[in-house]
Amino acid sequence: MSESGRDRETVVEPTIFELSSPGRRGFDLPPLDVPEIDPAEAFGRENVRSAAAELPELSEPDVVRHFTRLAEMNYHIDRGIYPLGSCTMKYNPKIHEELAGRSGFARLHPEAPVESVQGALALMYHLARALAEISGMDEVSLQPAAGAAGELAGMLITRAYHTDRGNPRSKVIVPDSAHGTNPASLTLAGYEPVQIVSGPDGRIDLEALRAAVDDETAAVMVTNPNTLGVFETQIADVIEIVHAAGGLVYLDGANLNAQMGLVRPGEIGFDLMHFNLHKTFSTPHGGGGPGSGPVGVKAFLADYLPKPVVVRDEARSTGVEYLLDHDRPRSIGRIHAAYGNFLVMVKAYAYILRLGPSGLRKVSENAVLNANYLQALLAPHYELPHKGYCQHEFVLSADRQKRQGVRALDVAKMLLDLGAHAPTVYFPLIVSEALMIEPTETESRESLDAFVAAMAAIAEASDSDPESVRAAPRTTPVGRLDEARAARELDVVWEKM
Amino acid sequence: MPYVPNSDRDRDAMLRAVGVSSVEDLLAEIPEDLRFRGDLDVPGPLSELELERHMARLAALNRSLDDVLSFDGAGIYDQAIPAAVRHVCGMPQFSTAYTPYQAEASQGTLQAIYEYQTLIARLTGMDVANASMYDGATAAAEAVLMGFGVTRKRRVAVPRSVHPAVREVLATFVAASGAEVVDVPLAGGVTDVGALEDALEEGTVALVGHPNFFGLLEPVTGISQAVERKKAWLVASVDPLSLALLEPPGSYGAEVAVGEGQCLGSPAAYGGPLLGFMAARRRHIRRMPGRIIGATADTEGRRGYVMTLQTREQHIRREKATSNICTNQGLVALATTVYLSLLGKDGLRELASHVAARSHYAADALSRVDGVRLRFDGPFFREFVVELPVDAARVQSELRTAGIWPGVSLSRWFDDMPNSLLVAVSERHSREEIDTLASAIGAVTERRGAE
Repeated sequence: MSESGRDRETVVEPTIFELSSPGRRGFDLPPLDVPEIDPAEAFGRENVRSAAAELPELSEPDVVRHFTRLAEMNYHIDRGIYPLGSCTMKYNPKIHEELAGRSGFARLHPEAPVESVQGALALMYHLARALAEISGMDEVSLQPAAGAAGELAGMLITRAYHTDRGNPRSKVIVPDSAHGTNPASLTLAGYEPVQIVSGPDGRIDLEALRAAVDDETAAVMVTNPNTLGVFETQIADVIEIVHAAGGLVYLDGANLNAQMGLVRPGEIGFDLMHFNLHKTFSTPHGGGGPGSGPVGVKAFLADYLPKPVVVRDEARSTGVEYLLDHDRPRSIGRIHAAYGNFLVMVKAYAYILRLGPSGLRKVSENAVLNANYLQALLAPHYELPHKGYCQHEFVLSADRQKRQGVRALDVAKMLLDLGAHAPTVYFPLIVSEALMIEPTETESRESLDAFVAAMAAIAEASDSDPESVRAAPRTTPVGRLDEARAARELDVVWEKM
Repeated sequence: MPYVPNSDRDRDAMLRAVGVSSVEDLLAEIPEDLRFRGDLDVPGPLSELELERHMARLAALNRSLDDVLSFDGAGIYDQAIPAAVRHVCGMPQFSTAYTPYQAEASQGTLQAIYEYQTLIARLTGMDVANASMYDGATAAAEAVLMGFGVTRKRRVAVPRSVHPAVREVLATFVAASGAEVVDVPLAGGVTDVGALEDALEEGTVALVGHPNFFGLLEPVTGISQAVERKKAWLVASVDPLSLALLEPPGSYGAEVAVGEGQCLGSPAAYGGPLLGFMAARRRHIRRMPGRIIGATADTEGRRGYVMTLQTREQHIRREKATSNICTNQGLVALATTVYLSLLGKDGLRELASHVAARSHYAADALSRVDGVRLRFDGPFFREFVVELPVDAARVQSELRTAGIWPGVSLSRWFDDMPNSLLVAVSERHSREEIDTLASAIGAVTERRGAE
């Protein structure tokens, strides 16, 4: 990996508002072939906007160049490794965009009659079936728009289930290694989080779990493999303890990339879970969405899934095979304005079809292999709090470098100079100076070797010249940014000076 | 294996480096009785060519908006999308990046969202905006929860003119909180202001749609006065295109403005991805859900952008976060940023004027059809309700054979409106196409009269 050696002064890009020039526009309309209306007459004078919204004025070339220059400031997966732990940043197949752009998918109205969208409904139905098969769940709703929405749906399903049994219960248990969305989602569903500390090996401590579980426990939320990248080997006991107290066991499916074709969560006792189609199924991430967070459940929870539900009637008793069922009295209700992020589903379905059963298993096997390869080669340079083989990701600690005054954040910033994206830092919270690394299966051996070389160089520089690491990044469009100032002197909309 | 570079040779070398002989050795920690040893029963694998053919067949089972003359709207609008919007959103630098956690390597995404926030704030007449929500419905629900946090009350009043999907999503979101949701009756298709005022108590959140689900302008001045008298808390859910011509929520006392932004540069997409936007008074910024991008400076004083006020968010604050939202609709927000930049101040106003002119022409044309009338008298922007002499579903199914979708039947949500059709018009509809709709409806009602 080489330094790009870019001159920072040349890449400062004004805001679109500063580029505005009166009288320009990048848009036109067909001539108006109906009578004009007078806004004051049509809407009432008091309703008419008195001062126009100050939108910028630019031509199409101005606009395209501005966003192209902005694009050039981004790191992205098409350029190189993006080893953010728990984020599953894998290569995004190019066919996905072409398929989702087809007018037969992109230009469908959600209120279109069901007989005119049989292809879309079939796709949703069969994607849900495939996710159920992969996960060992019985039924899947594709409606949640992102992982956190899937978690909320899961927690509301949990609540509806317990409410039907006489008591919604009040508490949900989360390990201290959990993603932040877990406690946030369960709180939104009206539950109180009970955090349990992990055992010395980073896994759920069965004694701590037993002590926390009681008849107010609605569920436990488990990430497996957990955020340290290790399989919860005692998961059968965890499930038994929670089930014995009448609670449900929820799987945060963020790490499903380690499990396809290898372990089926529904089969080993999980009651419900969410998927992240933008992670495991490479749909892609879009710089922060749109994602898709389907929720899957075992049969005894199926009545509670969000509505409407896509159902299949092979006999075509109403003339069509695929239908939207709105008549679901025990459903938690709607969790999206329509049916979820449909075009993301198109891509996930294409991904599954392209890979098939053997390909999906190979994805997970190679994700595990790549992670273990990196872990083995990086272990000499950084502390490895959890020894042993990992699943699809692992966590290093920069504690050794910290003694030289170099923190995990500094390591991350210097990686940006060396042509790689940084890992997730300071998460999970249970590892100090955490560097959480998930290479995914789409990195080649050469790419992994280059990453190891970069990490080794940083470890070496931390000893020989720690100041050089603390001064990184040097080659990015901007240097280290003052986050405290951003929060103190809030500037979240552009204003003319 | 199309997307996995490792060859058998690579794998062997890597396994040796790790010190094992097979991937199975790496999986040995998983208890054997938990392993899945079968073959997944999923379709595939398909080559890229086979995949393309298969998906083309599925797409061909759908009738897209290219194939029909559609007047469906109800919150999702089929406006034209400039090619430059798709071009920018297709750039892998935007589409294949992650959430901008490493600010120095994500300035493109961060600056684009900062510009998006500015555009939304200007459009809504509010002080600040966040980086996007899933859709207009979840944005409205989260705005109501924000209001609960400010007022410390758990009570929300919602007129029946608010979009049914918004009301349903709101019910889902507040179900667990024990909040009281008060239905407010309508008068002439809009909020009955007197009834609203009666429903309000100090600290009640009022959620109003403007234009509302029926396309009608709400009496926002009266609503705003009632809210002020009762010391209630106003959330306005607005159509962003209408804001080119109509007074924005910032001018009538809304604390938070939300809405569905799909019409600004995104396709109907069978209802997703959509774009929830949210803007608020500056005093509420620390209670806003989701990401907010702020400008700052680097160590050498160069301007740059970061995710700010992160202590509101789940990855820092966990159960005390203002929301659980993490991944939002980043790329859709980018589409809207490019779209609004292309249209600009005059372009957006011209578009809104054309859409309004065409919808008013359509309303006139339809109300001249025998037996057809406008259901409501009040002013509307782009969408209106017509009352037919026959069942709306029947008109829909008769017109479908001619490739015309005349609008959305309201009977699914309103038992007392079996003959009502919600008709949306965009800049795509020519005079001739609108006349075609009117005569097609005329033909159905005439046949019906002859029966």
